[in-house]
Amino acid sequence: MSTDPILVAKNVNKSYGKFIALAGIDFELGRGERRALIGPNGAGKTTFISIVGGQQGGGPSGLVQFCGVDISDATPHRIASLGIGRTFQISRTFRRLTVLENMLAALLTTGSGSLGLSMARLRVLREPAMRMLDEVGLVAAADDLAEDLSHGDKKRLEFGMVLATKPRLLLLDEPTAGMGLAERRGLMEMMVRHTTQREITLLFVEHDIDIVFRFADRITVMVRGKVFAEGTPAEIAADRSVQDIYLGSE
Amino acid sequence: MSTSFFKSPRLRIVVPVVLTFVLLMVMGPGAALVITEVLIMVLFASSLNLLMSYGGMVSFGHAAYFGLGAYGLALSVAKLGLPVWVGLVAGPLAAALGALVYGALCVRLSHIYFAMLTLACSEITYTVLFQAYDYTGGDTGITNFMASRLGLDPRAYGVLVLAVVTGCLAFLWRVVKSPLGLAIQSVGEEPHRAAALGYNPRRVQHIAFVLAGTLAGVAGTLFAVYQGNAFPDYAGIGFTIDALVMVVIGGLRSFAGGIYGAVIYTLLKTFASRYITHWELVIGLILLGVVLASPGGFAGMLRRLGGKKPNTNV
Repeated sequence: MSTDPILVAKNVNKSYGKFIALAGIDFELGRGERRALIGPNGAGKTTFISIVGGQQGGGPSGLVQFCGVDISDATPHRIASLGIGRTFQISRTFRRLTVLENMLAALLTTGSGSLGLSMARLRVLREPAMRMLDEVGLVAAADDLAEDLSHGDKKRLEFGMVLATKPRLLLLDEPTAGMGLAERRGLMEMMVRHTTQREITLLFVEHDIDIVFRFADRITVMVRGKVFAEGTPAEIAADRSVQDIYLGSE
Repeated sequence: MSTSFFKSPRLRIVVPVVLTFVLLMVMGPGAALVITEVLIMVLFASSLNLLMSYGGMVSFGHAAYFGLGAYGLALSVAKLGLPVWVGLVAGPLAAALGALVYGALCVRLSHIYFAMLTLACSEITYTVLFQAYDYTGGDTGITNFMASRLGLDPRAYGVLVLAVVTGCLAFLWRVVKSPLGLAIQSVGEEPHRAAALGYNPRRVQHIAFVLAGTLAGVAGTLFAVYQGNAFPDYAGIGFTIDALVMVVIGGLRSFAGGIYGAVIYTLLKTFASRYITHWELVIGLILLGVVLASPGGFAGMLRRLGGKKPNTNV
């Protein structure tokens, strides 16, 4: 793992009316890290992820740099094209398209080919799309509509679609929310396996402490819009103040 | 006959086209006129259907491009003295230009705000056509600038319109099945997901808007030739509502929705108005029934009868 930061945020602020969601966040993420972002509800975790992904247009102030490029005011599609992919808290797929079409739609954003009327491009992309579906365990559902998938499979599909765009940094917003324990671990193991193989840096928001300590190699604790603590899982587990505020003191 | 017979996309196009051709040939001139109007409305409704069913954009001003198509032809021939064939190209081009300009404004917003902007653009177009009397003839429109139907008899013009509409629908089918079509559907369904994958939603929506406007312009041009005139009403809210009703009755999220809706609506309008003074009441009741009982419209009903889900993009 390199310590060269892939993502740098300086003095990032965001308010919703009188509510301060982020109060001057300073944050650095090293290349190849698997960083978990944890904190109680309202800590600003999703807001921060959304600012990095460009989904919080208008309002945030401060500097966000990705690989040295200022993305503070960049649009989501520009940020995606630079190499930041993200999944959403509630999975967002194209529900009236088939699973295969969802994957094709993702693959169409990669490479140099432009959108057009050429059916040849779709034919060429069919094989990589099926391969990617195979990797996330959805090849048997290729012809099913995305809206007919189970909750877990929708998460897999969304992850596969983002993976298909070949991101360098992947933002996962509560990737295992709403799933059973065994399914959570299985999904997280798959996500970590694929991102590790591809040397993708991972920043994920997660409430399940078991998942966080199992899969993160560093943890950032946020409280009331600020970074409260940061360190390895062992350091965070040993931090008494974190235990008091977030994990609950004994 | 095997059920797979109608599963072939080519046959699903060829059979109705041949049937329409035969109807045009065997029926009288009066029927040919009705069929021709139905065909023009099929193209108009299908162009709106691209926006609504695939692009997720509900336009309250689609008639603007229908009207611009009609006036593009009429002004080219009547005011600029250009040959009719140039006017036939100028009509769709005027609509495309209108959609390019209005679209750049409209796609900046979404949902009801998008709808209101499209309505505003349509009203501006209507008002300009209505008020610019010296150029457009105001409420009296532009008439007698060319022989109706290019001087062709109703059947021959019907066949010409059938050929143009078939070509346009084949192009539209190609669009929705292409990478561009997949992008249009993706942005239409989940703009945030599409943007997070790397699509520029506004750009994709703008392209869909211009395509839909251009095809509506082709329909408007054909209609002006068919009528031999152009009136501001062609760009008015009435024509837009007609197209919206056609798409809803025919079936949202179905390629065939615009086709079914235009056939049902235009035939009802033509025949019900002969026997029922307030024929709009019939249309209103049908619309009510469709929205409440079969939100997928006629196409959805057919899909349900075939044991399929009613709301998929086919």
